[in-house]
Amino acid sequence: MIERVLIANRGEIAVRILRACRSMGIEAVVAHSEADTESRAVRMADESICIGPAESARSYLSAAAVISAALVSGCDAIHPGYGFLSEDGGFAEMTRAHDLTFIGPSPEVLERFASKAGTRELVAAQGLPVVPGSVGMLRDDAHALAEAERVGYPLLIKPSAGGGGKGMRMARTPRELQQALTVCRSEARAAFGDDSLYLEKWLEQTRHVEVQVLIDKYGQGVHIGERDCSVQRRHQKLVEESPSPAIDDATRVELAEAAIRVAVAAGYQNVGTLEFLVDGEGRYFFIEINARIQVEHPVTEMLSGIDIVAEQIRLAAGEKLGYGQEAVRLRGHAIEFRINAEDVKADFQPQAGLVEHYVPPGGAGIRMETHLYSGYDVPPYYDSLLGKLIIWAPDREAAMARSRVALRELLVEGIETNIPFHRAILEDETFLSGGFDTNLLDRKGAAAFLSAVPTDEQA
Amino acid sequence: MSDEPVGQVPASASKEPRDGLDALTEEVLPALIARLRASRLGELEVRTDGWRIRLRRDGTATLPRSASGSPAADGAGDPVDLIGSVARAPAVGYFMPLPDLVVGHSVQLGDLLGSIDVLGIVQDVTAPSDGIISRVLAEDGQAVEYGQPLAGIDPLEAEFEADDTATGSEAEVVDR
Repeated sequence: MIERVLIANRGEIAVRILRACRSMGIEAVVAHSEADTESRAVRMADESICIGPAESARSYLSAAAVISAALVSGCDAIHPGYGFLSEDGGFAEMTRAHDLTFIGPSPEVLERFASKAGTRELVAAQGLPVVPGSVGMLRDDAHALAEAERVGYPLLIKPSAGGGGKGMRMARTPRELQQALTVCRSEARAAFGDDSLYLEKWLEQTRHVEVQVLIDKYGQGVHIGERDCSVQRRHQKLVEESPSPAIDDATRVELAEAAIRVAVAAGYQNVGTLEFLVDGEGRYFFIEINARIQVEHPVTEMLSGIDIVAEQIRLAAGEKLGYGQEAVRLRGHAIEFRINAEDVKADFQPQAGLVEHYVPPGGAGIRMETHLYSGYDVPPYYDSLLGKLIIWAPDREAAMARSRVALRELLVEGIETNIPFHRAILEDETFLSGGFDTNLLDRKGAAAFLSAVPTDEQA
Repeated sequence: MSDEPVGQVPASASKEPRDGLDALTEEVLPALIARLRASRLGELEVRTDGWRIRLRRDGTATLPRSASGSPAADGAGDPVDLIGSVARAPAVGYFMPLPDLVVGHSVQLGDLLGSIDVLGIVQDVTAPSDGIISRVLAEDGQAVEYGQPLAGIDPLEAEFEADDTATGSEAEVVDR
């Protein structure tokens, strides 16, 4: 049984995990860097512990600092959140070696799915279609060029250790590929401490659809439906919704059932997400498994009523799932808007500084997951995510109507945010029709969206 | 180890000038530093056995950073006061001070004061400036967080000069 958790993350997810712990009667200690001493999670926490300077490599990414903090503060488990150490098998192993529970998959499971290229082979062996791509890691530029010729352009270069779109580039020609390899390697090394890359065929006009799964240590698992994350800007997700407006109910069921069957068969455990590309004909291709809690998990919580973070803690403690697929009921439509500290008028430049005023929206079906408060100073060292606005309604159209109301109410003053962009996308015909692909934003351009912002925008 | 001010200033009774100086630096000075720290005085002068000692706070000393959020500091405020420099934990772990990390011990910039045990690997705690240990803020074996204040160091200016006019053997504290 887990009694005391060290939360080794920051921002909105640290707040989310703290709430889950409290609702389960579990004590929590918030680990933080020197730049986060005034964070909402630290302020909310009964206990907090500074683990290092602002620089992530010496705080949130330092396995020794995190584990030492857990030991000196008397914790028996570590929740890594997302990003940072969340999918690091070596860290999970080290956590276990110190008799602490890693809240996530076991080190063996993380190792098995650590390589995205290896995972592709693992699920392909279970009969799941995968996007065509390179075999194994790219050894060098010459190997990359040879594999690219075999797979065919255009291509996506992806970091094997990655997530969140970092270190990813598209290449249409060998020349573009060579240029992009250098950039991707250095980005991947900086973000994940691992610069191995692989190639995937770039499929035109596809959607990004992912399936949430929960699997206990005894091989019992359920899926909690899919999420459509096709609204992206340069491979960064901005809006996620469920159910996906792009697939019919038959495909929806087939995809989710295939995902949970293959995940269990491949030996996956704990919470996870199987990501797919879905083309115009409803054909799906597996991309990768995210072995962590994801930013967009609340979308699924709104449809299912399941507290995914609480389930994650319970499963990591070795408890049985305790229910089958028939107990999972998905109801209505949910949509999430990622609120980022970005200046949409200046090419989405990340912003930092004092939030003078913050007022969350409210009303039926409105949920705000954030670490914001009036007077919070957004530090410049980390991700630009300020929070997530999640809307639930009985159907998609009603969800869009509620979203417009909520995005008008949501007030973040003092720094620039991407709220104007979200308001604009709710006026876009292609988005509203549901018939868009992952290239919607990059093709049309941010400026075109922003020009569509309604003029009567004063709340 | 205590960071409490010493109540009584011991007077030296030595006749030998050389012994007198040793006694001053080893006994009288630490006690005076503690008294100065406990007081609101900016300067303190003592006359004894032909010696006069004047201690003055260094007003230009950098202010220590806030240590808010630390378990030790929560609620009670920062235990470090506003004068002098502070040796801080370079990592989160268990504090292991050296035996001579005691109030009154004189240190130089970079001197080893102790270490932090991080999963069995030790990281050095060093003096951030020259001065005299004025406070020890963590105990042997205590769990400390990154940046936690471990010891205060006073950048005191101590002036020693022979004083022919001083004849009394009792220490005298002069408030200037």
